[in-house]
Amino acid sequence: MNKFTVTSKNIYYPPGGILLWIIIFLELITFGIALIAMVYSSKEQAAVFHESRLLLNSTIGAVNTIFLIVSGFFMAESVAYLKRGDLKKTTLFLKLTMLGGLLFLGVKGYEYADKIAEGYTLGYNTFFTYYWMLTLFHVIHVLVGLVILVSVFIGVRKKESTTTIEDVEASAAFWHMCDLIWLLLFPIIYLIF
Amino acid sequence: MKKTKITLIILILLTVVSAFVSSTIGVYTALILLVLTAFKFIGISLVFMGLREAHPFWKGSILVFLLIFLGIVLMILQ
Repeated sequence: MNKFTVTSKNIYYPPGGILLWIIIFLELITFGIALIAMVYSSKEQAAVFHESRLLLNSTIGAVNTIFLIVSGFFMAESVAYLKRGDLKKTTLFLKLTMLGGLLFLGVKGYEYADKIAEGYTLGYNTFFTYYWMLTLFHVIHVLVGLVILVSVFIGVRKKESTTTIEDVEASAAFWHMCDLIWLLLFPIIYLIF
Repeated sequence: MKKTKITLIILILLTVVSAFVSSTIGVYTALILLVLTAFKFIGISLVFMGLREAHPFWKGSILVFLLIFLGIVLMILQ
């Protein structure tokens, strides 16, 4: 394990690296603009948005929020143990992080199957167009995050590993970004209309 | 590590509270939900992502984003 470290107090080295934080802000702004557009559309079709929101199961949304939050906690613990040099606990928490992501995708898959079976697809109405576009775009991010975590997991376990703490921190920052995006999606899509 | 555990418990509680608040009908329901979201967002970014120990520029940037986003959403909802 390469233990090259930098201080995150430096403006050029936020936890995970400056390039990743530029990506995080770009993603947050992109999702933010789309959510603002959704809220704006809801003012023109208040009844459609309210009735459509009631077709979603907010308990499923809350359960998925908890899965992502707990998964984010495991990721933070994994990074903390890596900084202490405890590789066994690092890999254990990485596995638990990935499990959280898989559970999220499993519940989302169940929800998608249910909505498709009921006919609430992409073109059903404006609300469901936003629902599918935003949640599917988020699911793609979770899938990419899982691929990154698998690659870091393999890298950390190697005896002659070139994976640095900064690499793991960067993958953690990407994973937490998925949490942040979901935290914005959940109340607006599932709760407020 | 103790702080991350306390944050986890608070975040789960806030999520459960959000789900309950959404089932009530009131003038301030949307406002309460968005404030709860803000607390969760801050918890994850400062504690889980480690921004608490980062340069103030990054902490400030994430808070400015959150304030602008929630401010616009609340303005449209009014």
